Amino acid sequence: MTSDRPDPVILSALGLIVVIGLMAVFSASQAVEGDPVFLKQLAWAAVGVFFLVLGTRLSLRWIEEFAYPFYGLALLLLLVTDFAGSGPAGRWLALGPIRFQASEVAKVAILAAASRAFADLSSRPRRFGVFFVYAGIIPAIVLTWLQPDLGTAGATILMLLFMTWWAGYGPGWIFLLVSPVFAALSSISLIYWLAFTAMIVLLLLRRKAPAMLWVVVLTVNTLVAAFTPVVWGLLRPYQQARLTTFLDPAADPHGAGWNVIQSEVAIGSGGLWGQGFLHGSQKGLAFLPARHTDFVFSVWAEEMGFAGSLLLLAAFGVLILRLVWIASRCENSFTSLIASGCAAYFAMHLAVNVGMTLGIMPVTGIPLVLVSYGGSHMVTAMFVVGLGLNAGMNWRVI
Amino acid sequence: MTVRFGTRKPSGRPVAGFFIIYVLIIAGLAARLFHLQILRGDYFREISAQNHIRIVMNPAPRGLIRDRNGEVLVDNVPSFRISIVPSEFSTVDLPLVAGLSGLAPDSLSSLIEIASSRPYRPFPIRTGLSVEEVSAIAENLYRLGGVVIDVVPQRRYICGPEFCHVIGYVGLATSEESYEGQVSGRSGLELSLDQRLSGEPGYRREVVDALGKVVEEYEGGGEVSPRPGEDITLTIDLGLQRLATEVLALEGVPGAAVVIDYSSGEILCLASSPVFDMGRIASGVAGAEWDSICSDPQRPLLSRAWAARYPPGSVFKPVTALYLLQSGSIDGSYRPDPCFGSYHLGGRDFGCWTVHGRLDVVGALAQSCDVFFYRTIQLGSLDGLAAFARGFGLGSRLMGGILPGECRGLVPSSALLDSLYGDGGWGLGNLLNVSIGQGELLVTPLQMACIAGVIASGGAMPSPMLVKDSDISEPPWADLDLPVEAVALVTEGMREAVAGDHGTLRSLGELPWEFFGKSGTAESSAGDHAWVIGFVREPRPLAIAVVVEHGGHGGAVAAPIVSRILQGYLGGGG
Repeated sequence: MTSDRPDPVILSALGLIVVIGLMAVFSASQAVEGDPVFLKQLAWAAVGVFFLVLGTRLSLRWIEEFAYPFYGLALLLLLVTDFAGSGPAGRWLALGPIRFQASEVAKVAILAAASRAFADLSSRPRRFGVFFVYAGIIPAIVLTWLQPDLGTAGATILMLLFMTWWAGYGPGWIFLLVSPVFAALSSISLIYWLAFTAMIVLLLLRRKAPAMLWVVVLTVNTLVAAFTPVVWGLLRPYQQARLTTFLDPAADPHGAGWNVIQSEVAIGSGGLWGQGFLHGSQKGLAFLPARHTDFVFSVWAEEMGFAGSLLLLAAFGVLILRLVWIASRCENSFTSLIASGCAAYFAMHLAVNVGMTLGIMPVTGIPLVLVSYGGSHMVTAMFVVGLGLNAGMNWRVI
Repeated sequence: MTVRFGTRKPSGRPVAGFFIIYVLIIAGLAARLFHLQILRGDYFREISAQNHIRIVMNPAPRGLIRDRNGEVLVDNVPSFRISIVPSEFSTVDLPLVAGLSGLAPDSLSSLIEIASSRPYRPFPIRTGLSVEEVSAIAENLYRLGGVVIDVVPQRRYICGPEFCHVIGYVGLATSEESYEGQVSGRSGLELSLDQRLSGEPGYRREVVDALGKVVEEYEGGGEVSPRPGEDITLTIDLGLQRLATEVLALEGVPGAAVVIDYSSGEILCLASSPVFDMGRIASGVAGAEWDSICSDPQRPLLSRAWAARYPPGSVFKPVTALYLLQSGSIDGSYRPDPCFGSYHLGGRDFGCWTVHGRLDVVGALAQSCDVFFYRTIQLGSLDGLAAFARGFGLGSRLMGGILPGECRGLVPSSALLDSLYGDGGWGLGNLLNVSIGQGELLVTPLQMACIAGVIASGGAMPSPMLVKDSDISEPPWADLDLPVEAVALVTEGMREAVAGDHGTLRSLGELPWEFFGKSGTAESSAGDHAWVIGFVREPRPLAIAVVVEHGGHGGAVAAPIVSRILQGYLGGGG
């Protein structure tokens, strides 16, 4: 595969997704009065094409070179947004007339920095290198979470875990990395905790882990497990309730839970062939406050039915699997990681957003990239596709 | 073959793993789509055609409030509520619904106007109804679309109005996040502890037909039951609170009484008079009744125990005496020039209430001689006295926000007087006034009861506490470090006021236990406030403060109240 032209399969899938997105936004925006949502989205798609081309034209070697400074800049932007952000939920950063979400920039920066770090580790292995990578990336994810943008933070962590796996750290490593979360959950009962600790010990034994790793993993997990109930017990019931609402917004019957029900009704009523383009139930639409953004998939599924939804899922599937295929063919570690990260980026957004509209994932404010209304993620996603295409093009051969 | 964990060369790329996981993700989404759109498509299409799913909120019962002996003061009773779902409600029915629910058609239509912003949610139009009151509308429910009747817990104030200030009352919540019909605290502990008391509401989803009749429960989502609020136990004693309120009410003028167990800091009584019926306000009083409460010249909504501030007058003298003794300006044997009934300073006479002659500090406290303090305070300074008084918690809130509207009071310093009168625009006269509790000095009855407790305990009293098991903070007087001899002298003075031949509180000498007290008659332009503060060691360690607003002479007006409260509570007859 030494074509110097962008992969036509990916371009076709991308084109289909963007057209479906524009159609869905057009339909959803019928109920939005005054705001020219569709025209804006069209303009953003045009800007996105520019970034797509940019992504394919930039030298990946150059991106590898400047991955860390770029990541530092993204951290700075996140910090500024946390303290001086504006717009809904304070996630926006205004730069003159342009407003954008720093968390979108951060996603690309994390993709580049993690690829660089894992690529370096593969050529110059270091003890506990993977932990250093995570220590470096976690700040950006925490800042994203604080935006507050729980959905994006979650999708980014998942992307990072997939990249870790791609870099050669198998499921055992992944399990160790996420083990503190399980430690906190296992503190519910002694039996869970014993089972969890036994699993950790077995894993470490099987891998003949060095003493240092034993100490670190067991200490961290025991501390987390020991203090979770203590901290939880210190909270008053209303504080606990707030925390669970924060972690699981669907538990809030006024907001998120309501949206999911209406989303399920809208999607379900689509049936096999849908209610017809622009013929989604007006009442159904009125129920969905975020119908042209986070719940845009519900609009498409209602109007185009199971057939239309499958078409969109298939297009994403082709895009994602083709990116994995490209990643598998790259000889250079960095470009391979970039392409695999791009695939994970789209897979995770698809799973979290569509899963939410289908009522099988928690409600987090995360858009369906390339489809939902919104400039920041459209531009970012197009750029990410561009990077993926770039990885598959021949200038990786020196 | 195993690979070492520390430094390792990454193995081959997990291409197959990636393919499988991504295909599984997309297949999972497709399967869920198949479930919703193909298997249950007809069901959802039917719902969508009517699109009438509604969420019915199920309010949580607020936490109970008990007194220190476990007596329930406030609980909840089931009551009926009529709500309207605007999207299902036909205006044709408006006159009928208005008539049946006992509302004026105009006010009903304005309520529906408000409700229309959320057309699919039930909006309560009447709450707190009995079975009889809803029966008329219940009989007609079959032909009224969009009318809902349900049962909700309603706040019931079992205790009488003697708790109207401490506990306060609830009303319909007005914040942005609250759901229609949500109740929240409006005053007193109901307000300050609202988060603990309120719990979490539950909800259920219903599928309703075009007429608004419930067809079925929504199949997709379960019912969430409400989580009741936290119960709260007060340190207040119901019997004492009731007794004190009744005794105060007998005076016919506003006043307050505070009783604290100074060994534990627990507040046993926080009474203020006059009172109002918070149960009626909570259930929604008519406008006229609310207006009459608000416009009452005796201001029953004001809690005089902590939200009003008064000049303390002579009940402040123990603080002045302790200041002078602690700073070493005087000692027990110090006897300044005699009192001739007034003191002349800068062309002005500072009067005393009688001619006392030559007194030591014990006698000056017992007989409440002003001239003694006029003379001796000149050995100290205004800022020294102010700092010392602040050390007792004067000028600051004692309850950490648990009592809404708690006053700080005011302790004048030279900086404050400079800002009031201009630099140097005040003089020694202001110091003389403050030394006998007059001038700019302002305190709350709660603060004065604490001062009595601090003196009784030699400074060891814990922070005042109103809710059992609440977090205990360091009291402001933790750093006072009162000398034992100074406390002994002041205590002796307060005992002499009751037991001595010339004491100002001789009427309290009839009490069956040793009472240590100080009377005060605080001058005020609209009539003097009558004060008594004091404490008993036996049979229980109690500190007390009573003030009667514009009541006149402390020894004559406030002392009998103290006597009745203590005898009634401690069982000495009367």
